This record gives sequence, structure tokens and C-alpha cells, in this order.
Amino acid sequence: MNQSYWLKNVKLDSGFVFEDGKIDSTETTLYNLLINDGKIEQFQLANFPLQTELPVQDAKNLLALPAFKEMHNHLDKTYLGLPWKACIPAANLVERLNLEAAELVELAETGQHRAEQMLHLLLKGGATHVRSHVNIDPYIGLKNLEEIQKALYTYKNKMTHEIVAFPQHGLLRTNSKTLMKTAMREGATIVGGLDPGGIDQNIELSLFEMVDLAVQFDADIDIHIHDPGHLGFYTIQKLVSFIEQAGWYNRVAVSHAFALGDVPQKESVEMASKLASLGVSIMSTVPINRVMPPVDLLHSKGVQVALGCDGFYDSWSPHGTGDMLEKAGRLAERYNWKDEYGLSQTLQFITGGIRTLDEKGNQLWPKVGDEASMVLVDASCSAEAVARRAKRAAVIANGNIVYGGLNYESVLK
Amino acid sequence: MWDGRVSILSKSYWLTNVSLENGFTYNDNEVINGTATGKYNVKIENGKIASIQLVSDLITDQLPQYDVQGLLMVPSFKEMHIHIDKTYYGGPWKACMPATNGVKTRIEEEQILLPKLLPTAKERAEKMLNLLLSYGTTHIRTHCNIDPVIGLKNLEATLQALEGYKDKLTHEIVAFPQHGLLRSHSVELVREAMKYGANLVGGVDPASIDENIERSLETIMEIAVESNSDIDVHLHDPDHLGLFTMQRLATLTEKAGWQGRVTVSHASGLADLSVPDATAIAERFADLGISITSTVPIFRTIPIPLLSEKGVKVELGNDSITDHWTPFGIGDNLEKVGRLAERFRYIEEKTLANSLGFITGGVTPLNNEGEKAWPNVGDEANIVLVEATCSAEAVARRAKRAAVIFKGNVVSGSISNLESTTV
Repeated sequence: MNQSYWLKNVKLDSGFVFEDGKIDSTETTLYNLLINDGKIEQFQLANFPLQTELPVQDAKNLLALPAFKEMHNHLDKTYLGLPWKACIPAANLVERLNLEAAELVELAETGQHRAEQMLHLLLKGGATHVRSHVNIDPYIGLKNLEEIQKALYTYKNKMTHEIVAFPQHGLLRTNSKTLMKTAMREGATIVGGLDPGGIDQNIELSLFEMVDLAVQFDADIDIHIHDPGHLGFYTIQKLVSFIEQAGWYNRVAVSHAFALGDVPQKESVEMASKLASLGVSIMSTVPINRVMPPVDLLHSKGVQVALGCDGFYDSWSPHGTGDMLEKAGRLAERYNWKDEYGLSQTLQFITGGIRTLDEKGNQLWPKVGDEASMVLVDASCSAEAVARRAKRAAVIANGNIVYGGLNYESVLK
Repeated sequence: MWDGRVSILSKSYWLTNVSLENGFTYNDNEVINGTATGKYNVKIENGKIASIQLVSDLITDQLPQYDVQGLLMVPSFKEMHIHIDKTYYGGPWKACMPATNGVKTRIEEEQILLPKLLPTAKERAEKMLNLLLSYGTTHIRTHCNIDPVIGLKNLEATLQALEGYKDKLTHEIVAFPQHGLLRSHSVELVREAMKYGANLVGGVDPASIDENIERSLETIMEIAVESNSDIDVHLHDPDHLGLFTMQRLATLTEKAGWQGRVTVSHASGLADLSVPDATAIAERFADLGISITSTVPIFRTIPIPLLSEKGVKVELGNDSITDHWTPFGIGDNLEKVGRLAERFRYIEEKTLANSLGFITGGVTPLNNEGEKAWPNVGDEANIVLVEATCSAEAVARRAKRAAVIFKGNVVSGSISNLESTTV
């Protein structure tokens, strides 16, 4: 699988065309790429005759984009692969949690199967990396973790992953610290958390215990904070002080972080600078049913923002498609990023920060030595791919074609 | 995509093993937890649904049968706000340029753009119609630019494009004075357009574009009355300015006796209002039969559930599908209603199932009481066959469309590969 080959006729963003000092369109160039040992070893202009003994694959002018990263999912929760089921009405969050708890054991039986359906959907959309939160709670114990690990093993040559041990029913509320420790020993890689206010009812202690776990296991943190307004904002402030105490720089993510969109802008501006200086990243699912964190502001202040599909099609919501490019398009639509530059830059929110061009049009990706992980799409440039939700023809992870193929006709139909 | 195989279908045939919804199912707590469906054979004759019978009942006639293997039948969709005359769709990619002066920048752009696009207008419109059909739409309401730059030429291209689709979808054309009915002195042009084949009188922002709310609205109404046409006005004006305009429109509607004949597109101002203000105008619109069409924008969404509860007919549209106003838009009405459901937290079986009505002109397989409401014998055979077990799933999961049937003819997708008997 890891043999060398040439991938010829790959279209790459190569610069911007300026008109009256404004970016008018993207210039693209066809290249032949030498893939070796999972990396891009060499580039040649496609009109330069290719003389090689190595196998050659023809990308037939498809555009290459950096492979996508799904940074917030719940592989253990989805109903994918089961018969259709809508959500049952719930009056409040606690009722919703109880409904989930009631079906956890039943669902656990099909955990691997459902997670594999989700991974397939993500991969098909172009994601070769997934960060999954996995319930660690007294109802399900470590069963979901085991099932998810099996599913991820099936996809080990196609996708990389991170597993967040997620105390969905509350670290304190359900007294799950011992379970969380076991989960970290059994293969979870990141310590999760959830609404220290709304769920755990003790902001300071909940945060302390979470950070304590992270320090104990030398692990990163990814905490769900849905708590709104200044409640969520205060929680993030307290989290910041714990990060400083523990020295946990560049190791913490806040998922959802709705509060940053609720508070007055002056406060979110200050917080954005703080988060940037501590290397705290924000994970957003780009919700459309409530105020979301100000991604434009956070990004401009240097906060790393990444997108995820969240758990979808589960007991919480029947919506969602698992398509990261659709998610990026929604972000662009949300912030009215509809010119060529804005659209092209949107890609970085689903590629772990990788963009193809800088503001002057200098090529940033790919470079010799980069991992050969890319998505080949039917588009004239990355701006079009984002706005028009380009069809995916093939997904390549570390040099291997892991989804689709290069037979353009059959793949794009 | 439609492959021409419609011609081999005889006028009358059976769709066999069709899933139809029978009612909701309930859990032990009397809460709806699913939809019950049954398998039926449906006879299509002269473009209508001629018979619906259980699969267990024998088919006694010799008509061809197409076994759809349990695909769900839902009513076909209506695209109620689109501009097929000025899309980039089908042409080369082009992002938007930054708009320094809002809507006015876009109108300035049209001075150069419209003539440039005209030679390919018909071709692009046709590609867009194919796209809409492929997703299950068999009726469109298209707003067509009527302005001093392009005159009636876009209307001509629109009419030509639609002529080729008359066996695949129905349409309404709104004469749309994009550059301002008064602002661009387009009154006479719109009058001409109404004689030339446009069906509805359009308008745009009587305040911010025409800068004379009363005269703008009165002129729209006057043209509508003299041409005996319905009205569909674009209203983007915000908050109380939008509300005031809507109130004036309601008053003029009442005066002219134009009840049930007026639509407000976008009605963006409703997104900014307090619940009491929004409720009051909703009640007035419901009384006068003034409908609202929304594109379900991600932010500044208007309160669609409230409007709908108050009895206002709300319908959806894609508006643009990549043009100089916006690069976004997929053309899929099922995706559009899925967005509406996500936006307003329709996550349960019933709300999801009911929401289908926003894209079908209000027709849903089950009514609000959960009783069978569609299809009925005698209904036009305007159908989408989808890969889903029920309407709720189709909306939430954006079901794949297997075939689209208009007046009994397959206009997109195919069922002929499913043919089980031939005579």
C-alpha cells in the first residue's frame, strides 16, 4: 500500500488574480505529485513530461484540498445503521439526559456497527481524522469506549483519531471520576468535561477535578460548555485560571462555547485574546438554532477554531449529514464570507488550520514533505469547493486512496 | 437525471409496493414515537392517481407494473422563490465581489452583468430547472428581472426555457423590478411584462429602494388590479420599517379586495420584532390570506413557527443558486425544509412530518391529527419517491430521491429499471 506512485494532473490553488488591487479569482495549476511513503515527495508541473518507472494514477484535473478533520463527534451515540427514529419530546436537559440513559444499554449492543456507519459517512465527505467524545458514565461504564475502539480499529488505515473520555451525565453529578480514570487507562486520550454549572452544580470543583485528571494522565482537555451567557463566560474564566495554574498551555479545547457569543462584544474580545495567548482552541458545530461563538472575532484574535458535526442523528437531534465541507459552507454562509478570499480561507476551519493560499496568493499547501492526505473534488478552486459543496471523487490518507477512486465518470455520478 | 425513458411509459401504469403513511405510532406514555406505513399498489392514469389498494389485493388489469420496492411516496415539492434568469449556475465559477454599498452595489453590478449573461440566460435557466427537478420540485415561482438595463429580454429567455419544461413542471413568473419600480422608472416595463407572459406583479423594498412607500405599494397594487394578477413583493427592509411597509400592504390589500392574492417574500423585518408585534401582523396576514415566502436564512430568520401557528401560509424557496448576490444555494427544497426543522428545533416525529408541508403547498401524507390525508384518488400524480420510511425521516435525513413524477410522467430519476411486468 505504501509504495511510491505519481499522482498526475492534480489541480492546485496556485495564486489569486487581482483586479484593481482586489482579489477577483483564483489561479490554479496542474501538477504531478510524487507520493512516497505516505508523503508528498516531489512536485512537477503537469505539462512537464513525466518520465518514470513508477505506477501513475491520473487525477484528471480534479482539485486537491487538504484532508478534513472532524473535531467534535460522538461516535457512540448515533442511530446510523438502525431503523429510523426521531427524538422523543423532552421538557428540559435533565429529561433529555434521562431519555438517553434509558436507551444507553440497548444501544451499546450495536455500538461498533453504528460507529462504523458514522466513520464511513465522515470519510466519504473527506475527513481522515476524527475526534470523538465517548460517554463515560455509570449507565454504560466503559462499554461504549470498547465499541468505539473496535470501530476505529476497523478504520485504522483510513482515519486517525482522538478519543475524549466524556462524562456526559456529569463528572460530579454521577460521581464518575473513578470511571474516567479507568477510561484514560483503557485508551481514551483526552479528558472531557461538561457544564460545570448547569450539570455538575459546582463550577470550581468540577473544573478542578477535570484539570486534576488531565494532569494525572498528562492528557489534553476538551470540555463541552453549553452554559449560556455570563454563566458560561464565568466558567471559561475559571477554566482559564486553572489552565494557568496547571501550565496546561496549548492543551485545552472548549467545545460549543455558546457563552462567547452571548456576552457583550467587549468581553468576548478580551477573552479571545486571553484564549489565544493560552493556546485554548474552540470547537464549534456551527449551530443555527442559537447564538454561536463569534468565530470571525475569535479567529482574528488568533484563537484556533475547528469545526465538528457533533453527535448527530441520535437521541438529541435527528439532523446532520457528517459532511465537513457542508459544515464549512454553512460557516461561510453564517459569516457572509462570500467573496473569493473569504471562501478560500474558510477551508482552514476543517483542515486543522491548513489553507491553500495566503492573502497575497502565495501557495501554502501542499509542500514537499507534507503528509499525502487530501481530498480530490470536482471544483475549479477551493473557494468554489466551499461555496458549492463540491462533489468528492476520492479521499487519500497517507498516500492511500481510502474512499472513492480516480475514475472520474464513475465516481462523480 | 431524466434519461428520456418517460416516453416508454404508457399513460397508465401501476406503482407497486409503494410505502404510504397510515398514522403515527405511540409509546406507553401516549407520546408519538414513529410513523406506521403500509405497502400499497397505486394506479396512475391520465396523470392522476386512479386507484390505491393494499398489496394484498390482486391487480386485475393488464397495465404495466413497476415495483418500487418499498420506496416512500411523498407529494412533489414547490420551489416558491427563485431567480432562474440570473444565475451563474451551469457557467464558470464566480465568487461575489465585496458589496461596499449593500444592495445598491449589487444593482450597479447588474448594469454590466445582465447584458453579459443574456446570451446564456436560457441555457443556465434550463440547467437550474434540471437541478430543481432532480431534487423533486415540480412547481416553481420565479422572479424575473424587469428593469431598464435588460428590458423584457430576461423574461423572454425565462419563457423560452420554461416552454421546454411544460411537461415536467408548472410555473409562475413574477415581473420583478429589481432596480426599483419607481427608482428605475420601470412601471411601464412591468405593465408590458404582465401582457407579455408574467403572471404576478413583483416589487422590492418600497422604502429603501423606491424611497416612497405609499406610491410604490399603490403602483404595485394598481398594476395587479388592472392585469388581474397576484402580487409577490420582496421586503428586506428591517424591523419597524419592514413592519410598517407590511401593514400598509395589508391595508391596500384589503382596500383592493386582493385577499388571498398577495405574498411577501423574505419579510426580513419580522426577524427583528417583539413577539406581540410579530403576532399582530401574523394575525392580520392570516385574515387577509397574505402568504410569506422565506429562504430560511441562517441568521435573522423570521419566526416561521409563530406565523404558521397563526394561520399564515409560509412557503420556502432557494432564491439564488450561485449568482452575484450569493455563491451559496444547493437547489434542494428538502434540504431547505431540513434547515427549517433544524433552525426551529423540530426534532420529533410529528413536527418533522408536518414540516414537509412547507415545501409541498401544505400537502402532507398525514394531517395534523395524524390521519391519512394524501394521496387520494383523483389527486394529480405529482410524486417524489424517496429512500425513507416516513416523511419525518425524509426531512431530517435528507432522503435520496429515486424518482420524480409529474402528472404521471417520470421527469427525473427512473422507475423503468423496476418494471416487473409488461404487457
